[in-house]
This record gives sequence, C-alpha cells and structure tokens, in this order.
Amino acid sequence: MSSETQQILTTDGIPLEVSLKKVERRNKFKAFLLVAPLLFFLLIVYISPIIGMLFNSVDDRMVTNALPKTFVAMEKWDGKELPSEEVFEAFYIDFQKLIEEEKEGKLSTQLNYEKNGFKSIIKKLRRKSKSFEEGNYKEQIMAVHERWSDVEYWRAIKRRAPSYSYSKYLKGVDMYQNQEGKFVQVEEDRRIYKKLWVRTLKIAFYVTLFCFLMAYPIAHLLATLPMKYSNLLMICVLLPFWTSLLVRTASWMILLQQQGVVNDFLVWIGLVADDERLVMMYNETGTYIAMTQILLPFMVLPLYSVMKTISPSLVRAGKSLGGTPFTTFWKVYFPLTIPGIGAGSLLVFILAIGYYITPELVGGASGTLISNMIAYHMKYTLDWSFASAMGLMLLAGVLAIYWVYNKLVGIDNIKLG
Amino acid sequence: MRKLSKLLLTLVFALSISSTSYAVTVASWGGAYTESQKLGYGDPTAKKLGIPINWVDYSGGLSEIKAQKAAGKITWDIIDVFAMDTINGCDEGLFVKFDFDKDFPAAPDGTKASKDFFTSMPSDCAVGNILYSWTYAYNDKTIGSNKPKTIKDFFDTKKFPGKRGIYKSAMHNVEMALAASGTKPGKGGKNIYKKLSKAKGLDAAIKKVEALCKDPNGGCVFWSAGAKPPELLMQGEVVMATGWNGRFFNAEVGEGAPLKQVWDAQGLDYQYMVVVKGGPNEADAMKAIAQMTSTEGLAGSAKYIAYAPWRKSSLKVIEAGEPWYKDGKTAMMTQMPTHPNNTKSYILIDPLFWADNGSEIGEKWEAMKSGL
Repeated sequence: MSSETQQILTTDGIPLEVSLKKVERRNKFKAFLLVAPLLFFLLIVYISPIIGMLFNSVDDRMVTNALPKTFVAMEKWDGKELPSEEVFEAFYIDFQKLIEEEKEGKLSTQLNYEKNGFKSIIKKLRRKSKSFEEGNYKEQIMAVHERWSDVEYWRAIKRRAPSYSYSKYLKGVDMYQNQEGKFVQVEEDRRIYKKLWVRTLKIAFYVTLFCFLMAYPIAHLLATLPMKYSNLLMICVLLPFWTSLLVRTASWMILLQQQGVVNDFLVWIGLVADDERLVMMYNETGTYIAMTQILLPFMVLPLYSVMKTISPSLVRAGKSLGGTPFTTFWKVYFPLTIPGIGAGSLLVFILAIGYYITPELVGGASGTLISNMIAYHMKYTLDWSFASAMGLMLLAGVLAIYWVYNKLVGIDNIKLG
Repeated sequence: MRKLSKLLLTLVFALSISSTSYAVTVASWGGAYTESQKLGYGDPTAKKLGIPINWVDYSGGLSEIKAQKAAGKITWDIIDVFAMDTINGCDEGLFVKFDFDKDFPAAPDGTKASKDFFTSMPSDCAVGNILYSWTYAYNDKTIGSNKPKTIKDFFDTKKFPGKRGIYKSAMHNVEMALAASGTKPGKGGKNIYKKLSKAKGLDAAIKKVEALCKDPNGGCVFWSAGAKPPELLMQGEVVMATGWNGRFFNAEVGEGAPLKQVWDAQGLDYQYMVVVKGGPNEADAMKAIAQMTSTEGLAGSAKYIAYAPWRKSSLKVIEAGEPWYKDGKTAMMTQMPTHPNNTKSYILIDPLFWADNGSEIGEKWEAMKSGL
C-alpha cells in the first residue's frame, strides 16, 4: 500500500478524522459545562479558602513592610548584645512613619504575638517620641521603658524580619527556632499543643472503636430483621440524626450532670450514695459519651448498607459445610462487612478529629480537643495566622490517615451502599 | 396568585433593605445584661432619636467583627466590649476614634464629658458604659451554717468541700488566686499586678488555681457565658462560683434565687462601648451612642441590673431616685460594685496589663488546664 492512504471524507469534504474530533471536542466541552458549576463551587468554597489559609499561616509581610529601614540596619547585628545606635535611629524613623499612617497599633499586635509586653511599650513610645530630640535615639528610646533596653525584645523584632516564615507551624508542636537557628522545645509550663494533638487522636480513636462496637450489632439486626421491624428500628437510628447537634449535646448535659437524670436514677436505686454522685460531665467521660452517641449513625448506615447486600445463603452454606456459628461468622460474614467497617470508621474518625462544639460544651478542661484551641486563637488572641497553621496541620493529619488507610485497606474497598 | 407572591417577595426584599439601612445594630453579651441595656437606654434612645436599635448577642472577643471586616460586610455598628478589646481593636483600626468632649454630651450641671466619667479611657476608641465586678457567690440553702466570707474561703476545700465554677480564661482568676494566697491587693490591686508581672508571681497564681482544680475535695467547672454561674449554683453542680455581680443580683433579687455574693477582693472592671469604623450606619451610631451614654441613659440601665454607671452624674440621679430598681422597693446604691461597703478590698482589673501579657498568660493557663 502506498504511504499516502486515501483520506476518508465526510459529505462536506472535511476529513472524517477531523470532523470526529470536532464532535468529540464539542461533547467534551458540553460535559465540562455540566460539571463546571460544581467545579467552580468547589474552587470557591473549598480550594481557595485552603490556599488562603496556607498563605495566611506563613505570610509575615506586615512587619517586614512596617520596619524596612530597621531590618536593613539589623542585618549587620549579631543579636548578642543590644543593637547599635544605627538600628535605633532606623527604628525611630520607621516608627514615625507608622504613626503618621496610624499603623503602629497593628505592629504592636504582631510584635506582641512574638514576645509579650510590646503593646504597652509601643504605646508609651508613641506618646513620648513626639518630644524626642534629634540624635542619640538609643538613649532616648531606652529611657521610655526598661524593656526597650532588654536585648530579648530586639531579638524578637529581628525574628520577624523575613516576609514568609514557618514559625507558626513550629509553635503548633510546642517548638521554636532559637538565636542559633536550632529547633528547641518551649518551656515545660507552656507546652500545650503536643498534649492536645495526642489527646485528639486518642479520643477520636476510642470514639471510633466504641461506635464500631455498638453499631455492628445494631446494623446486623437492621439488616436481618423482617421489614416491618427493621423500618421502625431504622427510624430510631435516624431520628437523632435529624435532630440538631446542639439539641443532642444539650440533652446529654441534662442527663449527665451531677443533679441530672442518670445520677438521680442511680441514687434512687441505691447504686450510688447521694453525696458521691458520679462526675460524668465537664471531663473526658462526657466527651466520650456524647460524641459516641452523636457519631453513631455515621457508623450504622455504611455497615447496614453493606450487610444488606450479603446474601443469607452464604452463611447457611458455611454452616452446612460444618462450620460452627462463630467460624461462619468470622470466616464468611465478617470479611464481607470489612468495606462497611472501613467506610464507617474513616467517616467517624475524620469527623471526630475535628469536633468542636460537643467537647466545648461537655468536655471541660480534660475533654478539650485541638479544634477548641484553634477556636481559642480565632476568637480571643486573634492570632489568625497561628489558627490557620493549626487548621492546616489538622487537615494534613486527616489526609495522612486517609493515605495510610488507602495503603493498608485500599480506598476502592470502601462502600457506602 | 403569582402576582401576589411576587408582590410579597418584593415587599419583603424592600423591607429587609430598608430595615438594615437605617437601624443601628448593637452587639452585646445577652441575657439579663442586654435586657438592662435595651430597656434602660436602648429603647428610650430609639424613641428620642427616631433611630431603631437592634440588639444582637455575641460572646466577646474581636474575631467576629474582624471577620465581618475581612469579608467586606460589616453588620454591627456598636459593640459592647472589654477594656482589653478596646485597646486591641483600636490598634487594629477597627473602631472609630472619638473626639471625646465633642462627641459626648456634658453632664446636666455642665461638667464636661471627659470630667464626668470616673477615669480616662484606655484607648481613643472607647466610651465608658458600666462598672461591673467579678465576685463569687454560693447557694445559701445548701452551703450549711458556716458561710464563706473571704476570698480565702473560695480556695478552702476543707471548710467548703465541693466543686468551684470559675471563668474559663485566666482573667480575674489569677488576680483572685494571688489575693487568696495572702497578697494584700493594695490601692486598686497595685500589689497584685506588681507580683503578676514577675514570672514567679504568675506561676504561683496559676499553681494555686491548679491545686484547687486537682483537689479531690474541690475541682473546677469552667464557665464562659455570664448566665452560667447562677445556673451552676442552683443545679448544685458547684458549691461556689465566680461570676459577674449583675448576674448574681438578677438571680437573687430579680428571680428570688437563694444566692449570696461575697465581695472580698472583688475584681472591679469597666465595660465599654465602641463604634465600628465603616459600620452600616456610622452617623446614626454616633448619635445613638452619645444618647445612650448620657447621664440619664446610663442611670436608666441601673434600673434593671446592679451595674454602676460610668458617669458620676448618673449616680446622683440614682441616689435621688431611690429605690431605683424596677420593682420599686430595692435600693440600688448598696448593690453597686462601687459602693463603699463593697470596695473594702478590691482589684481594679488592669486592661493594659492584659493587653500586654494576655496571650502569654493565656498560654500558661491553657497549658495548666490541658493537664487537668
């Protein structure tokens, strides 16, 4: 055959290949248009906030831009003793410009995150610097407040020189980078976050375990009972699911408090003495109980939908081949439910790890999770970049768990129904 | 039918626009406190100026207004805030800076506004509203015959076994702990802050609270909403709880609950109002805030709750009008945190100290709590 094969043409004289491609492209475009709203929705409400958070957590340009001259002058400073007059003068000039732009307050907030005590000395400096004389700024600034002659405060300023920094991430695991650039742990009485990460993982793990232990028999019952009973049971499972989270948490508070329903009952039947009522709220126990109940449907539903598809004849076949009830359950039934267990556990675990409102209300001090700490920095210290950093660390943790799960069990083995 | 529903929709839309365009929205702390503000000076101001005033609840902190600003949709005009937040918010450029004597009316006797208020403001953006107090209370019915009288009793789990309700953040707790360990507050709590600004004093204060919370005869329940302490006491969840004096007063006098307050080493604190810069209705908000913090405005709120007005001239109005409480028989002056009977030993909460050291103390405090 010759190399120039005759091209097949359509009736318009266009090569068929080109024409086909055109149609295909048009179809692809139509398909894209169909998913485009969803894609844009995801981009706007999901992807862009995450990117924004990432940016927020490392962005430190506010301080860099506020003190340009100071940071140039500081380049030569080794950080061992108080900086030279040159640095003080540069700082004074930068500071005057900030006062003009009314930005010195923002600077004081940022520097106060780095080292406590900046707020008042910057306020004082603003008042006093109006009557400064030219020259010898070092002495004049140091005379404003004793903290200005403390080298630690100048080191704190220098630490904020880079436009982007990962120091907030270090803070999230109770560490910081010291003068020599080494990573060190913060003082013992200020270590919070590691403890909270461990506690969050622990509580999420146990809540998942408790949910599994309770949901498995329920789901099995649901899947095997005749329709008219199972429907009723299903409603019992779903009813709390449809009730507001806050209402459910509040009702747990009524049940669990020391003068609450459960304690009253226990005292009434004489199991507990009146002055030794059980403490089931404002501690870890409360968090476990309330979270397990609230997350239970997320375990029951995937398990149920998987169990529903398992043919009862399989178990019968196992029995007829001589298996005891336990062997048939363990060797035949249980392995078939693993996709449901995987889906349920992953759902419950991921929801539990980021839980906020329930631990806040019933958790007390010992039931606080990392998300409560994120809320604390959002609300009270206003250190949003730190809150962003911790939020991203939480997200990364969830993704890591997802990845491990995928490696161990395989994500294709998940079944929601 | 279709036309009608269209018409209705347009009407609702128009109404929602018009109602947001000229009403002033005030964010405050809810419960008995907002009630006192609304009845005391909110409604009279709205009537006098013809500006509707909406009240919304929030739980303190600047995060919400900061988020509103970041999102470009500010919905609050006036916020009721802690002293520390007026400083931080003013620094962040969130609030309007006042020209004090021009923006606020003088007292009836002609005293300039800046002279009529008890002290100067912590920041240029703040106008004083009320003085309130952190006290502690107990349930008179269940405490037994031996009643707590001093701040030391709050930490004494031998004499008074049972859990304590305390505020979830470090504020006032560390001051109270130092006072209970024997530090004499001094004038306005000066000695306390001198000790707290040293690491040793702060650690001792936090240790003291930790010991109380870890004590098997004690234990702590942390509260965040002002309505919670009286509730915890009445439920028997705690034997004593710190709280805001107006809330205890409201439970005790307003609702007849058997609660008793202890004023020893009370933490006297000011509450402020600020106007949001670039709020939906800044001009009307300025008019409303001036009217609300006027002499009769501030005196009005004391009719409904035991918080002292910031203006000296308002106190005179109350004194002349006793019994001032809304029930017509309770004298208000003795319930005020500023009354001489109640200020035998007190700590004036220092906003600058908290603006400076709040986050570091907060870290240590949270670290202590996470180890409970």
